[in-house]
Amino acid sequence: MISSRWTPFLFLAPALAGLLIFRLTPILVAIGGSLSGVSLMGDLRYVGLENFEYLASDPEFWSSLRITLFFNMLINPIQLAVAFGLALLVFRPLPGLWFYRTLLVLPMAVSTGISAVLFGLFLDGNLGPMNGFLEWIGIGAQPFHRSQGQALYTLVGIATWKGAGYWMLFLLAGLYSIPSTVYEAATIDGASAWQRFRYVTLPLMRKPMAFVLVADTAINFLFFAPVYILTSGGPSGSTSVLMFQAYRAAFTFSDIGRSLAISTVLLGIILLIVVIEFRLMRSPEEAK
Amino acid sequence: METQFQSPHAVMLRYGLLSILAFIVVFPLVWLALASLRPQNEIFQPVSEFGWSTFIPSRFTLDNYRSLLNGDFPLAVKNSTFVALTTVLFGVIVNALAGFAFAVFDFRGKNLVFLLVIVSFMMPFEAIVLPLYVMIRAFGWANSYQALIVPEIANGMVIFLFRQFFASIPRDFYEAARVDGASWLYIFTRIAMPLSWPTIATSGLMLFLAQWDSFFWPVVAASDSNYAVVQVAIARNINFEQNDWGGLFASTNLAILLGTIPFLLIQRFYVRTLISGGIK
Repeated sequence: MISSRWTPFLFLAPALAGLLIFRLTPILVAIGGSLSGVSLMGDLRYVGLENFEYLASDPEFWSSLRITLFFNMLINPIQLAVAFGLALLVFRPLPGLWFYRTLLVLPMAVSTGISAVLFGLFLDGNLGPMNGFLEWIGIGAQPFHRSQGQALYTLVGIATWKGAGYWMLFLLAGLYSIPSTVYEAATIDGASAWQRFRYVTLPLMRKPMAFVLVADTAINFLFFAPVYILTSGGPSGSTSVLMFQAYRAAFTFSDIGRSLAISTVLLGIILLIVVIEFRLMRSPEEAK
Repeated sequence: METQFQSPHAVMLRYGLLSILAFIVVFPLVWLALASLRPQNEIFQPVSEFGWSTFIPSRFTLDNYRSLLNGDFPLAVKNSTFVALTTVLFGVIVNALAGFAFAVFDFRGKNLVFLLVIVSFMMPFEAIVLPLYVMIRAFGWANSYQALIVPEIANGMVIFLFRQFFASIPRDFYEAARVDGASWLYIFTRIAMPLSWPTIATSGLMLFLAQWDSFFWPVVAASDSNYAVVQVAIARNINFEQNDWGGLFASTNLAILLGTIPFLLIQRFYVRTLISGGIK
C-alpha cells in the first residue's frame, strides 16, 4: 500500500508509547527493584538475591503461596464449571431467554471492590439478611469472612458471583461455533442427549474451556480487592494471598525491594500462564 | 428451532434452574437497593425477626442519599466520573489510531509490535501495579489524576477490537479515497471512524468498566482522599466503625447503578464484540 514510511508509526506512536511505558517497563522495574533494597538513608542499592533469599526463608511467604495455590485450585474449576453450566442453560432458544441472560451477566458491571462491599453487608450478622435467613431455615448463623475456616470459601463465592457470567459468554461463543450438523448426525446415529453431550459437546468445547480456565487463573492469581476490603488477609492469615503480601510489604513495612520480589514471582507465574494461553489460541487444530 | 424437540419437562427444568440462578445473582442487588431506602433507625432492626420486614422497609425514604451530599461521596463520584470519561475519550482515539495502523498499513516489525499488544491484554493489569507505582512515584505523579488516567489509556484489547473492525473494511475502500487525494488522517477521521461506531461504543464501555472496576491501582497510586475514586471511598467506609450505615448502603447502591446502567444500555453490542474479538 502506498504511504510514507513514517505514517504507520505516527498512528501507532501514542498507543505504543503507552504500552511500552506502562505495561512493559514495569516488568523490568519489578525485576530490577527486586534486586535492590532500601537503605536507612532511603536510597536504593543493589543487594543481589537477598530479597529472594529472605522470601525463601520466610514462613509467611510460603504460607501465602500455599493459600494462593489452594485458592486457585478451588476457584478456577468452580468458576469454569458454573460458567459452563450457565452457558448450557442459556444456549438453546427459549422464550424470554434474553431476560435471563441479561440478569446473569449483570455482575460484570459491578466492580470487584463494590461486590466485596455488597457481600460484606449482605453477610453481616447485624446488617444483612443472610444470617437471619439461615437461622430461619434452621441452619444457624455463620461467621463467613470473619472466621478462619470460612473466609477463603466466602471469597471464592463472592468472586464466582461476580465472574461466572463473564466467563459464560466465552463458553457460549464456543457452543455456538459447534455446527448443528454435527448434532444432527449424532442424533441420526441414535445418540441420546447424554451421549451427544459426552461425545460431541465436551470434546469440541475443550479449547474454549481451556482458554477460560487459563485466563481465569491469570486473574485469580492476582486476587486482591476482596481480601483488602473484607479480611485484610485474616483471620489468622487464612486469606493472605500473594498480592496482599506484596501490598503489605510495600505499604505496611515500606520494603519496596521485598514487595517487588513478590511481584516478580507473581509476574513469572503470570507470564507462564500467558505463554500457555498463547499456545491454546495459536493451535486450534491441535486441541481437537 | 431446537425448542420443538425439547420435552415440556426439560423446558420447565430449564426455566426453574434459570430462575434460581438469576435470583441468586439479582437478589443481593435488589436487597441493597431496598435497604438503601430504609429510614436510618431501621437499618439494624429487621434482622432480629426474619420475614417480609427484613426486605421491605416500613416506609421508603431518600434520607440516606441526602446524607451523602455532606460527606466525601460527591467528590468521589466526581473523581471517578472524570477519570473514567477522560480515559474513554483519550483511550478511544489513541487505540483506534493504533488499530487502524495494524489493519491498513504494512510496515517493518508489525508482527513484533502486535505481539506486544496481545501480551499486554493477556497479562492482567494488577500484575504490574506495584512496580508501576514505583515508576509513578518517581515521575512525581503519586496522588494525582494523571496517575489514575494516563497508564490506563493504551489498551491492548481495545487496539485489537479496532484492528478487527478496520480490517473488515475492504482495503479497496481506503485505496479509492487515497486515489482521490485524501490524506490518511482524513480517511481515519472522516471515513473509518464514522463507520466504526459499534466498536467505539463497545470500546468506550470497556475502558469505562476497566476504570470502574479498578481498585488495586487507585488504592496504591491515589490513596489521598482528594483523589479517592468511588470504590476507594466506599471501601474505606466499610472498614471503619461508623454511625452512617444508611449512607454506606446508599453510596454502594449508587456505585452499582453507575456501573450497571451504561452496561445495560449497550450490552448487546458489548457482548457481541467481546465474544467475537476475544475468541478469534
